[in-house]
Amino acid sequence: MNATAAVLDSRTDIPSALDVAGLALARDLRLAFRKRDEIVQPLAFFAVVTTLFPLAITPELSRLRESAPGVLWVAALLAALLALEHLFREDARDGTLEQYALCGRSLTLLLYAKTAAHWLLTGLPLALLAPFAGMALGAPAHALAGIVITLAIGTFALSLIGAISAALTLGTRRGGMLLSLLTLPLAVPILIFGAQATELAMRAQSFAAPLELLAAFAVLGVTLAPLAAAAAVRISLE
Amino acid sequence: MTALMHFLAMGGYARFLWPCYGITFAVVFLNIYWARRLNARARTEAKRRLATRQEEVVYE
Amino acid sequence: MSWTWFHRFGSPPHVYRLARTLTPWFAWPAALLMLAGLYGGLVLAPPDYQQGEGFRMIYVHVPTAYLSIMIYTTMGVAAAVGLIWRMKVAHAVAASCAPIGASFTVAALATGSLFGRPMWGTYWEWDPRLTSELLLLFLYLGYMGLRSAFDDVQRADRASALLAVVGLVDVPIVHYSVTWWNSLHQAPSLLRFGRPTIYTASMLVPLLIMILGFTLYFVAILLMRLRGEVLRRERAASWVREALAS
Repeated sequence: MNATAAVLDSRTDIPSALDVAGLALARDLRLAFRKRDEIVQPLAFFAVVTTLFPLAITPELSRLRESAPGVLWVAALLAALLALEHLFREDARDGTLEQYALCGRSLTLLLYAKTAAHWLLTGLPLALLAPFAGMALGAPAHALAGIVITLAIGTFALSLIGAISAALTLGTRRGGMLLSLLTLPLAVPILIFGAQATELAMRAQSFAAPLELLAAFAVLGVTLAPLAAAAAVRISLE
Repeated sequence: MTALMHFLAMGGYARFLWPCYGITFAVVFLNIYWARRLNARARTEAKRRLATRQEEVVYE
Repeated sequence: MSWTWFHRFGSPPHVYRLARTLTPWFAWPAALLMLAGLYGGLVLAPPDYQQGEGFRMIYVHVPTAYLSIMIYTTMGVAAAVGLIWRMKVAHAVAASCAPIGASFTVAALATGSLFGRPMWGTYWEWDPRLTSELLLLFLYLGYMGLRSAFDDVQRADRASALLAVVGLVDVPIVHYSVTWWNSLHQAPSLLRFGRPTIYTASMLVPLLIMILGFTLYFVAILLMRLRGEVLRRERAASWVREALAS
């Protein structure tokens, strides 16, 4: 860390890193509730995509049930990708992101707060909406809790990884498509284990094993992703 | 001639094997071509950049 | 321990000249080894018990697949060096690697598919190796896409370097999860893709020769591209004037 940051770190009159992160989190949540479309849109997208599959394949629930975990996860993945564009865009545009980078408090922690806010606003609602989509695809009632849990953890891991690619594509022109192309290969492990966990939940079998692996990815993401995202933000702010 | 034809036939796998080798060596030669083209372009760009710059101040 | 040799590699004019001198030392041995490997693999090696003459496709499939992974690793390591030590040359190395690696990944997929067709009946199979190769291709394309999205070469370097490092960490994870995923839905062993089971020396040696030959070839192409990439990253430098004149 450079000298300025070291000096700022030792000052006690400005809020600590944790406090600043908490403020950032609260700010993001408050701002989002003022623009409620941004919360609703990913959910609507998720609902639409989930509807497309029966329309494209078959209305029979018994046949849909087989591919339900895959459909739920792909739809959630796509919705999360769309939502990722909003993670940094506004803050980059109005200069807040720059302030975060310069404020002398840990950018990593601040980005973690932003990512957490993003998940609370998109991933978690998605996970809570998923059981309804699941039922529409023929999922049995006992699987619904499993669907919520697996998608909640999975979307959290996705938000973390997505923060890296969102930060990397900040300075570029055709951000959205590139963001998706960058995030998807990185998100494959989440997709594989998440879908498998949901599948096992639907078959009323223990889905502990893939869930634990999924949780492990989430933990790995928590520790490493905000670091990488912070580095990416600094690069794009140059 | 039959020895050559036997070789080319590759025990019946010819229609998979020869495209395999063909694609691989196409990529091998393409990379050589691309590297040459990159260098030629880089040289032209560098020449253009040098030409449009003003004379360097020489400190004696 | 003297670090001068390391720092000399950071000097663009030095690398530019060195790359030109070294290229033939890699290119010609590579060509020779490839020819030797081709002869050994296509002519000398005996046909396989199970796969007949078809197994000879491994003499191109294995080198291309190996290159695709080895180049990505090189790219990631060079990117990391470029980020940590802020070396333009390291970034130039990473940039040089990408198109080579991507094209060989395509070749690996194509040869893998052609190899698979007579062996397991279909041109495509979602087995761990092919699926991992496909994802690797996407990683390469993403890297190249991110690079081209920036106008400024320095920012492109740093952003794509971070992506390469993240990808490098992700590749083993992706490979592991794909293998796991595939093992869940294991096809009966009769249909599983099998390699030639008996590897005699006469079968193995040409393969090793090909792998070595392709490695040397990669270094040669890398050195060639490196010169162009280094040139691109040099703005106001008198050595450029000299170099262009030669």
